[in-house]
Amino acid sequence: MTIRDVPLRPVGREEFPRFNKHVCPPTFGGGPLDPVTPTRRIASNLLVNIDLDVPGLGKVPMWILEDPEDQQGGRVFPSKTIRTVEGDIVHARVGAKSNTHTIHWHGIEPSPMNDGVGKHSFEISGNFTYQFATNQAGTFIYHCHKNTALHFEMGLYGAFIVDLKKPDTAEAAGTPDPPYPPGGPGFVRGFNPPTHVIHYDVEALWVPDDIDTRWHELGHNASMQKCDPDDPTAARNFTGDGILNDFRQDVFVLTGEAKRPDDDTPFQKAAVHARVGQTILVRFIDAAYSVQEIRVGLPLTLVSVDGFTLGVGPTGQYNRPIEFAAGQPIRITAAMRGDAIIRPTRPGRFPVTIDFLHWISGKKLYTATTFIDITE
Amino acid sequence: MPVTRREFIRYAMVGAAAFAGGAVASRAAPWGRPTQYGAKRRLAITEAMVQMVDRSFVYHWAFEDLDNVPSAPQMPGPLLQAEEGEEMQISVTNNLPGPHGFRILGAPGEVGAGIVIPPGETREIDFEAPAGGSYMYFDHLNAPVNRVLGLHGPVIVLPARGNTPYGDPSPSVQKLFDDLGTTAHFPGEPWKAERTRIWVLNTIDPRFHEMARNGRDITASQLRDELLPRYFTINGEAGAYASHNHHTTPSGRIGQPFVIRIMNAGLADDSLHIHGNHVYLLARTDEEGNRRVEANPLFIDTFRAEAGTLMDWLLPMRRPPDIPGDERVPLRELIARELSLTLGGVPQSPIEYPMHDHNEVSQSAAGGNYPQGMVTHWEITGDIDGVDFPQSDLDEKGGRNEEYERGEGGHA
Repeated sequence: MTIRDVPLRPVGREEFPRFNKHVCPPTFGGGPLDPVTPTRRIASNLLVNIDLDVPGLGKVPMWILEDPEDQQGGRVFPSKTIRTVEGDIVHARVGAKSNTHTIHWHGIEPSPMNDGVGKHSFEISGNFTYQFATNQAGTFIYHCHKNTALHFEMGLYGAFIVDLKKPDTAEAAGTPDPPYPPGGPGFVRGFNPPTHVIHYDVEALWVPDDIDTRWHELGHNASMQKCDPDDPTAARNFTGDGILNDFRQDVFVLTGEAKRPDDDTPFQKAAVHARVGQTILVRFIDAAYSVQEIRVGLPLTLVSVDGFTLGVGPTGQYNRPIEFAAGQPIRITAAMRGDAIIRPTRPGRFPVTIDFLHWISGKKLYTATTFIDITE
Repeated sequence: MPVTRREFIRYAMVGAAAFAGGAVASRAAPWGRPTQYGAKRRLAITEAMVQMVDRSFVYHWAFEDLDNVPSAPQMPGPLLQAEEGEEMQISVTNNLPGPHGFRILGAPGEVGAGIVIPPGETREIDFEAPAGGSYMYFDHLNAPVNRVLGLHGPVIVLPARGNTPYGDPSPSVQKLFDDLGTTAHFPGEPWKAERTRIWVLNTIDPRFHEMARNGRDITASQLRDELLPRYFTINGEAGAYASHNHHTTPSGRIGQPFVIRIMNAGLADDSLHIHGNHVYLLARTDEEGNRRVEANPLFIDTFRAEAGTLMDWLLPMRRPPDIPGDERVPLRELIARELSLTLGGVPQSPIEYPMHDHNEVSQSAAGGNYPQGMVTHWEITGDIDGVDFPQSDLDEKGGRNEEYERGEGGHA
C-alpha cells in the first residue's frame, strides 16, 4: 500500500506578510501611541551581560534587563523586581541597547502594541515607551519575548509585583506606603471578609529556574529562521542544526542563587526568617523549563494565582483560596505564579523542597532545599 | 433528536477534511458539513506521511474518516461529536499490520476501557454518548506510544440541556455560564456552542516515527526516557500555520466568550500561556480518564497541560483589562492610533494575542526557528456594541529589522 501524504495547506501570496512577520517582526520606536497621563514611570534597558556564580562550577554568562536609574542594584539576576501600585497607569520606557528586543508584561493585559510580542506588533529598535494599567494587585513577571526559548533562559526576566493600596486602618498607620519594600511589610488582597485585605510582615520570593550551560554559549539570534518575505514558508529558510529543542539542565537556580546538580546544600537567598505570630507572604514564579513540585513544611493558603485573588471581586466569585497541608505538593510549570500565606504558630526550622521534574520523562532532576526559620 | 447546535464547531486538522466536498480549498474555508457530524461514523487506522512546518515529511499512524469523499488520513483524527444520551455507532477498521486499539478517555464502559482491533479487522462500537464534556479517543495499546505516534482525535459531547458545555456542571461553573452576558463584569452574550475551539497538542520526534515505519518495537519507557521532540503541534500544525488558521484561533468581538477544549496527546507537560485575557479552568480529565468539572475554577493566564490529559478553558473575550483610559469609550476610539497602523505588512486591526507553551523549548521546530512550535493566537474584531474595529491604514509604519536581514545566528 502506498503511504499517502498529508501535506500542509498551500499558503497564498496574500498571506506572505503574516507568515513572514511570524518569524521576522518589523521594528518600531517612540510611543506611547494612544497616550494617557501616567501615574508611574519605569525604565528598563536590555540587555546587559553579567556572570552567574555557580559554586564548584565557575561562571555562567547571563543576560539581564537593567534598571538604568538604579546605579547600585540595577544589575541583578533575576532582573530587578518592578513594583507598581494597583490602579497605576504605567509608562515603561524600554531601551534596546543592542539588537532588537521586546518586553512582555506577563499576566498584564494591555493592547497588542503594549504587550511586547514581535509577531503581533513589533520589536524595539532604540526606545519605546509601553503604556499599560496595572489593575490587579498580584504577582506577575516581565521578560523579553524575542527568540524566547533562548532569551528567557538567558535571564531576561524579572518579577513584576503590583501592590495593593494601603488600607485606611489603624493597623496600617505608620507602615510603609506602596510600592512596598522588598521583603515586607505590606498588604495583599485576600479572601478575608469583609475587607479582603491581608497584612503581611515578611515577604519571600521563590523563583525556580534551571540552566543548560551549553545554551549560554549561543548567539543572540541562534537558530532563527531566515527572513524571506518573497517566500516565507520555503524549506531553505529553516535552520535545522539547532539545540533549542534539547534542554539539558546542568545548573539549578532558586531566586538567582545557582547550584550544581550534585550540590544539595540549602539555598540561603530564598530562606524565610520570621517570628511566631507573624504573617508570611510567599510569591512564587516558575522560570524553569521543567515541572516544579514545591513542598512547604508548614500549612499554607494559596490566596492568588496568576495575579488574580481567589474568591475576591466579580471575577473571583467563582473560586476560593486553596488550603495546602504541610508537605502537600504545589505543582507548577513555566510562568505559573501564585501567592501563599503562611501563619506560623510555633518556633522551628521548617523545610521547603522544590523538586525539578523533567517535562517529558517526569524523572526527578534535582531537589532544591531551603527553609523557613521561625523564632519566638 | 435536535442536532442543530453541533453543526458549526470548527476544528482544524491536516488532511482530508480540509478538502471536504472535493473543493481544493484554502484551509481557511469552513468545512464543517452537517453530514460529517453524525454519531454514526466509520474510521480506519492507517499510516501517512505528515508534513511538518519546515516542509519535511514524518511518518505517522493516523485515523481516516471513511465517509469523507475522498477518504484520506487526517492529523489529528476526525472530530467525533454527539449529544448526551444519543447512541454513537463507531466502526473502526485496522488497516495496519499490527493490533491497534480504540479508547475514549473519560467515557464509561467498554469504550472507556479500550477495545482491541486485530490487523485487518473491523470493530463496531455502539454506546450511549456520555455526559456532556470533552473527551479524546486514542489507541491505548502500548500507551503512550501509539497515541503519540498519531492515533488520537477529539470527541465533543454536548449536554442535552443547559447553557454550559457540561452534563454535570459544578455549581461554580454553572454560575459562571449564567453570568456570561448578564452581569456587569461579563457584558455581552452568553456562550454559544459554536464558539468552541479544539486544541489537540502533540510532540513529534521523527526518530521514533521512523522506527514505527520500519516495524521496530518501541517500549513505553524508551519513549518516555528518550523522546526529544523536534516538532510541537496544535491540531497537527505548528507556528505560523497554527496561528493563521481560523479553525484553531478564537475570533470574535468583546463579549463573545469561547470554550477551548485542550487535549494533550503528546508526551510533554506543556505550560500553556494566553495573552490578553485570563481564562477560567473549567474541567480536567487525567491520564487515567478521571473526568471532573472544576468545583473551584481558577482564573489563570498560564496552566500546565500534562501529557495525556485534557482541560477546558473559558476565554471570556473581555475587553483587555489593562488598556488604560475611560472604560466607557469603545476601543476603536481609545486605541485609534494603534488600530490605524500597519506593521510588517500586517494591519494592527483586528487585535491579536498569542497563546503558546511557556516551556519555550516547545516554541522551536527542527531545533530552532522560533516561534514555529506550539503557538496559536486569538483575536478581537470589534467592540461590545457590535461595531467592528476600523480597518488599518495600509501604509507601512514599521521599520525594517536589519538584524534579521543580516541573518545572524543559524544562517550566519
